[in-house]
Amino acid sequence: MDRLEFATITELRAKLDSQEISVPELIEFFIKRCNEFDPKIDSTLEVFDLKSVLEQFRAQGTPLSGIPGLLKDNICQEGRITSCASKILQNYVATYDASACKRLKRAGALPIGRANLDEFAMGSSTETSAFKKTKNPWDVSRVPGGSSGGSAAAVAAGLVPWALGSDTGGSIRQPASFCGIVGLKPTYGLVPRYGLVAYGSSLDQIGVLTRSVYDAALVFSSIAGYDLRDASSRNVQKKDYTQHITGKLPENLRIGVIDNVLNAQGMDSEVSAAVEDAIKVLEKAGAKIKHVQLPTLEYSAAAYFVISRAEAASNLARFDGVRYGMRDKSAQSLHDMYLNSRHDGFGEEVKTRILVGNYVLSSGHAGQFYENAKRVQRLIRREFKNTFNDVDLLIMPTAPSPAFTFGAFDVDKLQMDLQDYFTCPMNLAGIPAISLPCGMTKNKLPIGFQLIGPHLSEGLIFQTSHVYEQNTPWHTMHPENF
Amino acid sequence: MTKISKEEVLKIAEISHISLREDEIKPMIKHLQDVLSYAERVQEIAADIEEPLNKNVNVFREDVIVQVQPETILAQAPEREDDYFVVPAILKTK
Repeated sequence: MDRLEFATITELRAKLDSQEISVPELIEFFIKRCNEFDPKIDSTLEVFDLKSVLEQFRAQGTPLSGIPGLLKDNICQEGRITSCASKILQNYVATYDASACKRLKRAGALPIGRANLDEFAMGSSTETSAFKKTKNPWDVSRVPGGSSGGSAAAVAAGLVPWALGSDTGGSIRQPASFCGIVGLKPTYGLVPRYGLVAYGSSLDQIGVLTRSVYDAALVFSSIAGYDLRDASSRNVQKKDYTQHITGKLPENLRIGVIDNVLNAQGMDSEVSAAVEDAIKVLEKAGAKIKHVQLPTLEYSAAAYFVISRAEAASNLARFDGVRYGMRDKSAQSLHDMYLNSRHDGFGEEVKTRILVGNYVLSSGHAGQFYENAKRVQRLIRREFKNTFNDVDLLIMPTAPSPAFTFGAFDVDKLQMDLQDYFTCPMNLAGIPAISLPCGMTKNKLPIGFQLIGPHLSEGLIFQTSHVYEQNTPWHTMHPENF
Repeated sequence: MTKISKEEVLKIAEISHISLREDEIKPMIKHLQDVLSYAERVQEIAADIEEPLNKNVNVFREDVIVQVQPETILAQAPEREDDYFVVPAILKTK
């Protein structure tokens, strides 16, 4: 390890245990780093003061004890603002900890701030945040991806060793890919959603962003497992996922390459080449590569648009300016107060998604859009299930291109929505997927690929990802000037 | 290609409890049409698939009271009076 800021959690743990550095010193170091370097990339909405962070410190002798991180600002932290990067919740103070936050605190981890995001996690560039546009630390003229863009940029720039994000259609994996780090979207229901501000409840999942696979497994182990407060929580007990990291692949591991995806229209040639290289690395490490077709994937984005917007319209109906949040105080009637508060409080992207959602659910259109989208979702699930009879994991790019420039899709917003093309099928199927760095473009922009497994295959995903990581240099590269 | 009229977008906005300014209507129509025209393709293959099974199950848990200080919640109110949330008058005075 050369520099403390890019140390892994295990390396930080060793320094704390050998008393080379104390917990308050370590936290102070990272808070200072955020204050010094975050103005370059605007990845945080708030960095807490040292005293209030240390007051939260409880557990000793655990792997995450005293290790600082960031939470995407749609995950509640008791006594702190949870804004969802929206004006409507600008001053909303969470009255309880999200289950994932509470579990991390119990494990001794210390959230030191709130990470920026696309408003209500709706976007693929973090440009729809009502407060600031996060920059990609590899090239500040480009976006970090989204919606967990603040979390990804902060981890990539060495402002924190870990961050939590949420992934409804790719919001952890695409920014992880754009920023050259590891991002895991777990199996639906494995990490409790209690305290995650809902966007598309049947698709939303909290996950982790880190610079190494082992660190991802470590943080994930502390947040995964059954929670009675989340009705969609899976009955799976807590376990230590780092046990799966053995340093070698399982015998006869079969990895499926999705041919129709790698040859998809609009794929950047440097991305295709990097993913082809990743396949070769895994093959050389002993995996059997099989070629498969998943034709329904071409309909995933359409089904995802319909289902996610429908659920968003329903979930965001609660923001009415009555009990909390922004209110238009000039309105003369209750009805006008609702209409104006929501008009002024929500940004353009959020309003559009709510309108799309109510359109596809409205009588006369629900049959054409919503019900058909749910049928397509079933087909996608079945297709994945059948494919996993023949292969153990699937591999495909995370995004069609490396990070794009600010405003690139201001005119053609549909192209922005299609950033979810390679990531949303897994949300529709509820299966886990990880994005791993697998190359750099000529212009020094990171490229990522996904390893995808059946439900609850996180152990195998970590095991395989770790082997890939140990055979490649990408995780050791960090952006300059940080 | 899904076409949306001005009346339709205003109706959906009303259902959504979101007011739209005159200058916001046209861009909103375009955005809705773009997304919906793309989303239409779900029809192409959905016809061959049987109805989704209704597999929803009720999930129950003990009804345990979690104590929260009313003041913590009420402190977030945009407008309040004692222990009540205040909203603009619902009934018109003569």
